[in-house]
Amino acid sequence: MIKNLYKLIFFSSLISVLLFQNTAAQNEEFFFRASGSPSNPKVQASWNRYYTYAGLVDLCTKLAAAYPGLVTMESAGKSYQGRDIVVLTITDKKVSQPDKKPGYWIDGNIHSIELQGTEMALYTAWYLCEMYNDNEFIKQLLKDKTFYIAPTINPDAREYFTAVGVPPRSGLVPRDNDRDGLYDEDGYDDLNHDKNISQMRRKSPNGDYKTDPKDPRRMIHVEPGEKGEYELLGYEGIDNDGDGLVNEDGPGGYDGNRDWGLNWQPNYIQYGADKYPFSFPENQAVRDFTLKHRNITGAQTFHNSAGMILRGPSVQGGGAEVYSREDDEVINTIGKKGELMLPGYKLVTVWKDMYPVWGGELDWWHGEMGCFVYSNELWTPYLMFYDSTKTDDAAEYEFEKLLLFEDSFIPWQKYQHPVYGEIEIGGFSKNFGRLHPGFMLETDAHRNAAFCIYNAWQTPKLQVTDVKVRKLQGGLSEVTATIENTRMIPTHSSGNLQYRIDPPDYVFLEGGKVLAGMIVRDKDMNVNEEQKKNPSRMEISNLSGYERVDLKWVVKGGSKFTIRVESIKGGTASAQSD
Amino acid sequence: MKIALRYPVFFYMLIICNLQLNSQNLYSNYSSMSQNIYKLEKEYPSVCTVNSLTKTAGGKEILEITIGTGDKNNKPGIAVVGGVEGNYLLGVEIASGFAAALLKESDSPDIKSLLDKVTFYILPNVSPDATEQFFSKLKYERNVNCRSTDDDRDFVSDEDPFEDLNNDGYITLIRVTDPTGSFVESNEDARIMVPADLSKGEKGKYLVFSEGIDNDKDGKYNEDGEGGVNFNRNFTFNYESFGLNSGLYPVSEPETKAVADFLFDRFNIYTVFSFGPQDNLGQPLKSAEGPASQPRPQTRRGQYRRPAMSEADGIITSILKSDETINKMVSDRYHEITGAKGAPVSRTTRGNFMDWAYFHYGRYSFSTPAWWITAEKGKSPEAAFLKYADSKKMNDVFVPWAEIKDPDFADKKTEVGGIKPFVMNTPPADTLGDIVKNNYKFITAIASMHPELEFLDMKTENAGENLFRITLHVHNKGIFATCAEIGDDNMFTRIMRISLELQQGQSIISGLKVERIKRLEGGQSAEFSWLILGKGTVKVTAGAVNTGIISDNISLR
Repeated sequence: MIKNLYKLIFFSSLISVLLFQNTAAQNEEFFFRASGSPSNPKVQASWNRYYTYAGLVDLCTKLAAAYPGLVTMESAGKSYQGRDIVVLTITDKKVSQPDKKPGYWIDGNIHSIELQGTEMALYTAWYLCEMYNDNEFIKQLLKDKTFYIAPTINPDAREYFTAVGVPPRSGLVPRDNDRDGLYDEDGYDDLNHDKNISQMRRKSPNGDYKTDPKDPRRMIHVEPGEKGEYELLGYEGIDNDGDGLVNEDGPGGYDGNRDWGLNWQPNYIQYGADKYPFSFPENQAVRDFTLKHRNITGAQTFHNSAGMILRGPSVQGGGAEVYSREDDEVINTIGKKGELMLPGYKLVTVWKDMYPVWGGELDWWHGEMGCFVYSNELWTPYLMFYDSTKTDDAAEYEFEKLLLFEDSFIPWQKYQHPVYGEIEIGGFSKNFGRLHPGFMLETDAHRNAAFCIYNAWQTPKLQVTDVKVRKLQGGLSEVTATIENTRMIPTHSSGNLQYRIDPPDYVFLEGGKVLAGMIVRDKDMNVNEEQKKNPSRMEISNLSGYERVDLKWVVKGGSKFTIRVESIKGGTASAQSD
Repeated sequence: MKIALRYPVFFYMLIICNLQLNSQNLYSNYSSMSQNIYKLEKEYPSVCTVNSLTKTAGGKEILEITIGTGDKNNKPGIAVVGGVEGNYLLGVEIASGFAAALLKESDSPDIKSLLDKVTFYILPNVSPDATEQFFSKLKYERNVNCRSTDDDRDFVSDEDPFEDLNNDGYITLIRVTDPTGSFVESNEDARIMVPADLSKGEKGKYLVFSEGIDNDKDGKYNEDGEGGVNFNRNFTFNYESFGLNSGLYPVSEPETKAVADFLFDRFNIYTVFSFGPQDNLGQPLKSAEGPASQPRPQTRRGQYRRPAMSEADGIITSILKSDETINKMVSDRYHEITGAKGAPVSRTTRGNFMDWAYFHYGRYSFSTPAWWITAEKGKSPEAAFLKYADSKKMNDVFVPWAEIKDPDFADKKTEVGGIKPFVMNTPPADTLGDIVKNNYKFITAIASMHPELEFLDMKTENAGENLFRITLHVHNKGIFATCAEIGDDNMFTRIMRISLELQQGQSIISGLKVERIKRLEGGQSAEFSWLILGKGTVKVTAGAVNTGIISDNISLR
């Protein structure tokens, strides 16, 4: 009877939880607001676990349903296996059109095992929505800017990784990695059926490994002259195709982040590249979306790991990319702010401080789209003990024992291997090492979301000020105005200017017939640059961070004039004369 | 009703034929070329299939003709590609003429046995949008497809095309007598305009532009006409981002992607012949004295490596040694067989097809314009051409300078004239047949040098009781290597395997059941050996689709 009562209470509370989840916020009297977080969100989400593909679609659907004035959910295209590449457009839809505001792009998970980019992206989307009503900064931000958030741009492999447990870096388009005419015929094998691909070890008198006396779970390399007891045999698997090699042609086997249309090189130069740029449907979908949204000014493409805020160039000299001193200052200033916001993360230039990458997504955003882009390599062992001297392999074992209670270690177990004989399989499970432990996921999600928000805030915000009219003789007026970019990021990167990717910023005068128009270079000395062609649509090639540009027109007729600036990446603004 | 319709069409065609120039009668436009190609498939159904790979922005099909017998995609393959650059009409004729000639002789013993060994994939025209300009009312040398592009990057597309100011159907040049001009009449041929040479005390007399008006008033003439993207600039090797007519990114065009996909899907193709402005047959390529690649930048962290993939040290920019040898031999044969003298002016463009087929597709790649007038070093190729035309009494190659009224230069003497479009790339009608025939002979001669495997010195020794030692050589009896050296590290070429199939009761004591065979130069061989326990028959199989696959049964007793 008591047992049944418990059951009843359990089920009724479960039902009420479900009801609340599907409807709205919970009872306010239960909570006291912690600073900077939504205390009573309409869409319940937890940030101490990872979302499967179905889970992230569900969360996105709920956000779109709960915040129809902010969120549009769409599919940018289909993955190889037919999953939608979900993109959330988040902005205050009442204020201007979404694609007329400076845009900020976030994607994650291009590398399948690098799951948490998705959670960072989802958290950002959720946070923007849930804070909109309570926080003036976020409210203004969504009036000014548009976020485009693609939680995963590699959904097939995310699903494969979370469900099956095989870790390809790539998507799942079949590929003949050992060049024998067979596709994906010799991948990893989950020999012990625990949905993890872990390590194989074998007792051997010639082995060069032994167990760590401090933590027998851990294998350590013997000192020179010391006798070992184990040899390591690599990841779980057998020689499925009988060619004398183990695991040499698994699912996929390419790198979606070497598949982009700028600075591309083939696979014998750049491991992971395919036949030509955009060989894969997921990247084609993102490409097509970006080409339709030229208002995107900044971007973040999340990876893991090692705690880096990556910036270009990705190859020495930048290839077809242009990096000017002015752009470098902006990139470094924002990047350094990121180091402050993300303890343990360092601003890093890809080719110089890491390794060269040909055909990466970063280059596409910066070089081809003219965006200010970073790629955060999420999670760093520094975060284990907030101690830069305790980040090694031994520290990982200690951290995992002290804080995760051995939750993510697969104990070594005997297995009869068809080639190697008696072996043992064990090691860390797939959710440890490069992925945040649950209790740290929300913290880092918030910090990374805040960095994205800071980036988006620094995209151009244009203003028209000081519209003045002076009567000239013969019924003519001189109209002057100042166009100002009040944020750090310019409307045009140097590459955008050099290759003329986006049109210049256009300034229109309405309310009279424009006879002449000019950019005022020096007000005091009357040095002007006249635009002879079409002066009613003045062209400003670029508005740098905090730059002010003075314009002057000679106008016939009219008394009240409107000056309007339109910039592809800088948004729009206008002002009227008195 | 049907008959009634047919006559007007026929009549109309007659008129068109009469209007066309003599040399053009022999060049086929898109629709008659397509008809001819589909006719081949009907005529030779047992050896010929025709596929449509895609449609261009201009709605034209990219046709492909496969000619072969038996298991076509599992023996060495050769691709023959025409229309690589839209103003080289000759290549279209050579490629389609090659297919027609090969099929015509497909019953002859020589070609029959060639087709037993080699499959041909012919892409007669990969730039059909561009080549059609040759047949249109307004003729100008065009090499771009029908995608609307903003060539001058003024954020308006296709707004400044050519105009036929003298209404003669040809786009030539305008010259304006003007003291600010930098052009003078050439010393070699006064009809030709050349830049004034200040070092020789020359002063410019003329402004020279292409024929047309400055529609968008930007001071430049005809810099953004109809289209487009150039097939021969849209490939990945040495691709020019933001280049003129190079496309938004490499392989951005349906026809480029379709051709690349078609070729990548056929791992058996080992050689690509193409006809266009690039040349390595008149003059073979030279390998680099030093390393063929640029050194890789040093990085602080090591590069991610995989055992199944070997990485080259950097971007390879010149032909590799072993491939150079083959290129030299093939070039010599080209001169011998076709009778071509000297070499054309070397033209390298970034993102071109010939370089892609070698450096990124990883196959032997040969290309030539197939017809050229050699100019002496330092002399004008235009003057040399006019001299040749005069000697051949070709009197329709030049539009004589004649005054016109041009509103852009209302008060100045303005003339239109110059060499007619296409004439320098399209040989006179009476030579076309021989050129097609000679190139056909050349390709079939080179095809007979394909890689081919055989087992040599196959030995079995009884090592005592039931233990047998098998030893054999896998020998490449062809002249071409089993794979171009450049393709050896490329994921999209196959690695040959040698494998054993045992009978029940037999086992391998030493040696691998499946083993990789390294690349074999022409005439080279590799030795393999196994120890087998147990009597019976062992089947040994060796090769890859690009060499053909051979097998033999070895009896152990």
